[in-house]
Formats: sequence, structure tokens, C-alpha cells
Amino acid sequence: MSKKDKGGKSLRNIRTIQSAMIAGYALIVIIAITVVTQFAVRKTDEVLKNKVISLTSSLGVQMKLNMQSYLSRMETIATLAFGEEEAYTYDAADENNDEYEAINKEKVITDKLFSLCIMENFVDYGIVYSNNRTVGKISNATLTHFGDRIFDDLSSMISSPRRNDGWATGYDGDFKRVYYVKRVHERAVLVISFYAHELDSVFDNPEALSDMDISLVNQDYNILYSKNGGEVGAPLSQDIRSRIEGQSSAAVMDNDYLVSVNSCGDWYVVCSIPTKIILEEKNDMKRYIYMTGILAAVAAAFVGLYLSIILTKPVKKLVASLDDKARLDMLTGMLNKLTFEEYAKNSFERSVDNEYRALVILDIDDFKSINDTLGHAVGDKVLKNVGSILKNIFSEDDYLGRIGGDEFCIQVNTRADTLPEFMEHLENKCRELCASFHKIYADDARSMKVSVSVGAAVYPEHGRDFAALYNACDKALYISKKAGKDTYNFYNESMEGGEEQ
Amino acid sequence: MIKRLLALFLSAAFAGLCACGDEQVIHEQAEQTEITLSWWGNDARNEYTLAAVAKFEEKYPDIKVKCSYSEWSGYEARSKVQMVSGTEADVMQINVGWLGQYSSDGEGYYDIEKLSEYVDLESFPGEILEYGRRNGVLNAVPIAMNAQTLYINKTVYKKYGLDVPKTWDDLFEAAKVMEKDGVYPISGASKSVFLYVLAYCEQQNGKTFFNENNEITFDESDFKMMIEFYNRLVKENVMPKVEDYQRYNIDSGVYAGTIAWVSDAINYNTGAMDAGFEVIPADYTVFDGMASGTGWYAKPATLYAISKDTEHPREAALLLDFMLNSPEWAELQGLEKGIPLSREARNYLDSCGQLSGLQYDASLLMETNSEIKPMNPLVENTDLIDGFIEVCDLVLFDKSTSEEAAVSLYKKYKEKYAFE
Repeated sequence: MSKKDKGGKSLRNIRTIQSAMIAGYALIVIIAITVVTQFAVRKTDEVLKNKVISLTSSLGVQMKLNMQSYLSRMETIATLAFGEEEAYTYDAADENNDEYEAINKEKVITDKLFSLCIMENFVDYGIVYSNNRTVGKISNATLTHFGDRIFDDLSSMISSPRRNDGWATGYDGDFKRVYYVKRVHERAVLVISFYAHELDSVFDNPEALSDMDISLVNQDYNILYSKNGGEVGAPLSQDIRSRIEGQSSAAVMDNDYLVSVNSCGDWYVVCSIPTKIILEEKNDMKRYIYMTGILAAVAAAFVGLYLSIILTKPVKKLVASLDDKARLDMLTGMLNKLTFEEYAKNSFERSVDNEYRALVILDIDDFKSINDTLGHAVGDKVLKNVGSILKNIFSEDDYLGRIGGDEFCIQVNTRADTLPEFMEHLENKCRELCASFHKIYADDARSMKVSVSVGAAVYPEHGRDFAALYNACDKALYISKKAGKDTYNFYNESMEGGEEQ
Repeated sequence: MIKRLLALFLSAAFAGLCACGDEQVIHEQAEQTEITLSWWGNDARNEYTLAAVAKFEEKYPDIKVKCSYSEWSGYEARSKVQMVSGTEADVMQINVGWLGQYSSDGEGYYDIEKLSEYVDLESFPGEILEYGRRNGVLNAVPIAMNAQTLYINKTVYKKYGLDVPKTWDDLFEAAKVMEKDGVYPISGASKSVFLYVLAYCEQQNGKTFFNENNEITFDESDFKMMIEFYNRLVKENVMPKVEDYQRYNIDSGVYAGTIAWVSDAINYNTGAMDAGFEVIPADYTVFDGMASGTGWYAKPATLYAISKDTEHPREAALLLDFMLNSPEWAELQGLEKGIPLSREARNYLDSCGQLSGLQYDASLLMETNSEIKPMNPLVENTDLIDGFIEVCDLVLFDKSTSEEAAVSLYKKYKEKYAFE
């Protein structure tokens, strides 16, 4: 374990917290965006559907108004025929008629009726009498179609007793003609007929809704007229019918169809369009909203990451600095006593027998007199110098610590396969250490020489834990001091009981 | 620096999003050029014309055709109102007589030759186009030739042991046999009957009703002959009076014959043929020993013209060309208006095997007859016909003598027409 690793524990904690914070933030952002997106999609759906149903409903009502206006105009033109007195007083079926007078009266009525409908695309605009005689504009096709039942069949189309009139289509299965019949008197009816194709202009819908089926159906929901939709004369499709049956004015929308119905006299105007056609843009919009949501989440995660880095950078700096302060001796930059002891204890506890380690204690000789003579500043400088020398001599794997005022401790962790090999390495280091100080002076005037005394002990030979090894080192150091300082000694058992090596 | 850039980016993005909401939305509606088309006709013609117009609109989606149509009765009056009031359709079906009525100087309709870029006139023989020219200006293009034709229900005639009538006498003989059952040898609406009676008189007096200067050549005695012949036809039950004419009686065989245009052959007789009767075009009725076709007229069935004031000549011309020359229109129209004069349309129908049937037979009868004269359009004028029927009724109902009626008719015609 390097010193850096050990020192980064707090920072790792911060990094863990930072990661958790980013993940939590991203999660919250994603959840929030998902919720907002879902809400937006639902709301858009709802608003869109409401708008569409409202617009379609308006279109349906407009179609109904168009139809009513068209029918009303036809009824007005029919009523105009009553402006000619002969039209409602003459009876072609009266057996007492003078034939010549009758022909002339019929000419008058015919001329009047022709002039009234001159600009209309009518197939018929005339009066039919109970003897099936006709005046006005009655087409050959109508005469052929109705034959000798013309009066009876037209009379049967009258459905309103109040106004004595009625609208009909689908006569004899032919839905291409629309009829309006109004009773003139007991033995005559007025008929207007026109092609159902004329209703195209009534049901002309906007280009945007050109896919819409617009149908005119009777009370049995049989199609009387259809634009884009089903076959005329056939029943309205069950899919559409089931959605509007029994309603007289409503608009219904579900996942399959948008249908509106509006009653128009005895008939209904039914507008229908598959929902997927009318809301085809909705799915695109949904996709865009989801994509925007995902992009927003990614962007938010990046922004969060960036902000978190900015936020934790000074904290990390501060923590690293505090950590250094707690861990290091600020003067020499080496581990302080507490940290060194902790590291060394842990290291020895985890060590096994075939690993060779050593503990070395270094004490500056006569450091007190340096302080006293040259002052504390020079003393501090010497201490700093010791730190530099130790860092130069020992490797990155070794722990270096200042454990007292002028006392340093080194745990040597250099790997070696055999004890002699390790001992040789250790001895070299100790020798080098002592020698390094031979050219060192405490002051610039070189008045006071600096030397160190060193004591060393080897794991596991001289002890298996820090306390034992430290004790052994101390004894070896004692011997070095006794021996006149500026030297090193390895612990041996003979040192026990205070004997000199 | 990064912070500033980020702030700038976010501000720009926000401003962009805000700006989105204010964006102007423009939805352009597809614009179509609307032109109008008017025609007269029966149900069948109306149906196929609407279907053919839909095909035109499919081919030219930027053109919308608004259709105005009705049966013949009333159409002429409406057309007059529209022409006089300047509200006529861009493209219209017209009667040959209207060229003289509305375009005596050739200025009443658009000069179609100016639109030859769009209308293929090459497929029409030059002499045919002459029917549509006024004062050298091509005002209209004829669709097909037409003539009044007598259609005979051969089955009914055979039932009474009669041959297909060829002479006037044959008709009076047939009436004697048929009248007990209320069956009429022939029938017709007022115009057909007028032209039929006219043919009788022209065979008698050798005149042509209108001369080249549009003057009436008939005098009071000729009118008397016409009135008396009409009365004889009605009184001797050769035909019902025109006021009683009901077309459904053709279907049942109560009318064993009917006078109608070549273009109406199918329209009038389809019911009878569907009922199993054999109907054929008879020879043009004449006096015994006279060449069939004498006193009878042929004319362009109908013509197509373009309004002189149309705001959309190109679109109108495209429609006109489609109506005259396209296989789509020819296929739907078939022989309904007679055999098309357009070579393109005719060839197409020939290739489809459509050149057959009653209408085709009637056309051939007309085309192969050398006696038939070109009709002066004035002879179809409604007031001419209505005036004649009116005085005939006076005689028919004993309100006046045929001499008095002839004088009255002469005076009436004199008010409007020049006499030779």
C-alpha cells in the first residue's frame, strides 16, 4: 500500500459520495423528466383529442346547417309554385274539364313552373294529378320510372301532416334521385327532384378533412348519400352505427373512430374518420416528446456531473490538505509519529514470516547543542535536511516518519529472497545513511558538524510486531550512541540487559 | 471561461425554445382552378358525364369542374338567360341553332382555333368543323351528326300483320288496325312531330322551310296543309296529340313507333327492347314512290363551345379536348350522342367493338341517305314549334278553322321571322 493510497481514503469517500450524488441526481432527473414527459404526452393527447373532436363536431354541425339550408331552399322554391293561382286551383283529373281550356291552363302552369326553376339543376319541378297527368317539368325518366303509380307513390312520400310535405330518396332502390313532395290539393302533388350528386356542394369539406366520410342516412341508418364512404342504399357500417345509434347530435371519439352525428329532419348527417388518420401526427409528436425527454435527461446528467465536479473540487482540495496535515510532519514532509506507528503496526501485523522487513531508528547527535548554539531555525533546517536525505536513500516502498524532536524512524520494506540478502541491503542503507551526514554542516559557516546514530532491528528475527521491533531498535541505537555516535548497530540478543555490543 | 460559455449556451437554448412558441404557422390550402360545364341530357348521359368529369379531374387535379345540367325541357330557356346575363358556363353543350342566335358575327363564343394548342382539331374533317363556324370563326365543335328518325316496334307491327311502315299511307292503314286496342302506330314530342309534319309538307310542296337567307318559304296554304295533316294524324289515331305524349307508353308497346333523334335511339327505346320488343330504325317516311329521306333534315347532334368571356381558356380547352378526343370520355359516352365525329374517339369505339346496336343502325341510315338536307338551325326554334302546336289545338278543339289557324300562324311567325 502506497502512502498516496493510504492518504486517499478520505478522498475515496468523497468520490463515493460524489458518485452516489451524481447517480441520485441523474435518477431524480430521469424520473422527473419521465413524469413530465408522460404528463406532457397525456395532456397533449387530451388537448389534441378535445380540439379534434370539437372541430369535427363543428364540421358536422356545419354540414347539417348546409343540408338544412339546402333543403329549406328547395322547399321555398316549391312554395313559390303556389304564387300561381292556377297551380293550386286547377285539377287535371276533373272529368268536367273542357279539354281545350285544360290544355291552355296547363300551359300557363307549365310556363310558370319552368320560369321558377329555370336556374336550378332540377330533374323535375311539376305537378302530378291523381289521374297521373303531369304539368310543368316532369322528366321522361321520372315518368318511365314511376309509370302509372306516379301519383300514388309520390303522395306516399308525404310525411309531415303539418306542412303536407316530405323528403324521400331510394325510390325503387334508386338513391341517385332525391325527391321533395308537397300536396297541392287532394288530387295533386307538387314534386321537385334532383340528382343526389347535387349534394356534393352541400357536403364539400375542407381539404384537411378530405379523408372524412360524410353520409346522409335515414332513420334506419341506410345510406342516402355518401361522400368517400359506403355504398348508397347500403346500411351504414356497424362500426359507425354502434357509436352513434340513438344520438341526435353528438361527437364520439375512441381509439378507432371519430364519428359525429347531427339530425336533419328525418335524416342524419354522419361524419366519420378513423382516429389513426386524424391523429397520425400524434405519434410523431409523442416520439419527439420522448426524444426531447431523453436528450434533456442526458444533458441534465452531464450538467449535474459538471456541477458536482466544480462543487467537490475545493472540498477535495481542502480534505487532501487536512489529510496531509493530519498525516505528515509539516517540517520534513514525512509521516508524523502517530501515522507512522499506525502504518508500521498494520504492516507488521499483515506480514508473514518469509517477508523480510526492518525498522531503523535515527537520532541526530547533539541536536540540542545545535539548537542551543545556532538557534531553532538552524535546527529546523537540519531536520528538513534529514528528511531530504532519508527520501533520497530509501525507496518509495519504505515508510519514513519523524517520531520525536530529532528522532526518525524508517520501516524498510524492500523485497529480498533471503535474510542475508536483506541484511546486506539493510547494512548498505545504514552505512549510506551515516555516510551521507559526513559532509553535512549545521550552518553555512561549517562550524558545527551534523552526525546521526542509527539502530536497526529485523522482522521477524528481532521481533514480530512494532513494539518489539521498536524496542530492539532503541537498544541498538543506544549501543550506537554509546559507541561514540555517528554509527549504526543492528540489534542482537546480546544487547538485552544493557550489554554493549 | 467554461462557466460563461455554459451560461451563454443555456441562455441561447432558452431563448430558442421561447422563440419556438411565437413562430407563425402557415397552412396553404391547395388552390384549384374552377371551371363550369353545362349540358342537357337524360339520366344515363348525366351519369356518364359526371363519371367522365371525375376522370378529367383525376387527370388534372388542379382543375375542378362544376357541373350544371338538366333535362332538355327548360334547358334552352336557362341557356338563354345565362347567355344574355353573361353567366354561361365555361364549357357548354349547345344546339346548332344557338350559334346563329347568340353568335351571328362569330363573336358570341370563344374562337376555339386560338386554343388549338390544347384542343386537337386535326381529328375532325374540315367540312364537319364548318358546322361550328360563324363568320369564319370556329365557335363550336360538333360531336356527332343527328337526324329525326322513326323507330318502329317491329314486334307490335308483326302482331297486327303489318310491315314496317314506309309511307304516310302505311301509317293511316296501321292506325285503322291498331286503334281498337288503343295502340298508336307512331308517337312523338312536339319538336319531333313538328319536323315530321314539316317533312310531309316539304315532300308535298317541294319547298325548304327556311331558305339560305333565313326567310320562311312557306305561305298560308302551306301552313294550312301542316295544320290539317297534324289534325289528321291525331284524329285518325296515327299518334296521340303532343300534350298526351307519355314516353312510358313506348316501353309497353302502346306506342308502336316513336320519332326521336338518332342520339336518343337507346334512351327512348331501351325500355321496349328490355321488355323483349324488336325495335328498328324505319326508312324515313315519304309518299309512295318518293326517295326515302326527302324533306328530312340532318344536323350536328350537339356541339361543344367555350364561353367568349371565360377566365380560364386553357383549362376550358383541356376539358374540351378531353371530351372530344380522349378514350376515357369516348368509352363512357359510347354512342349515346351518336357516332362521334372525332376520328380519335371513333377509332377507339371501333377498336372496342362498340360500333353496333340500334343507335349505330340509325346513324348508318342517316349517313348513307343521300336525300337528307342540312338543317337550318332556326327550324328548331321553340317559338316556331309552340306556335304551330297552339294553332293546331285551336283546330283540334274546333275553336277555329284550319284556314283561320293558318292565317293566325302566319301572323305570329311574321312578327319574328322574315318571309320570302
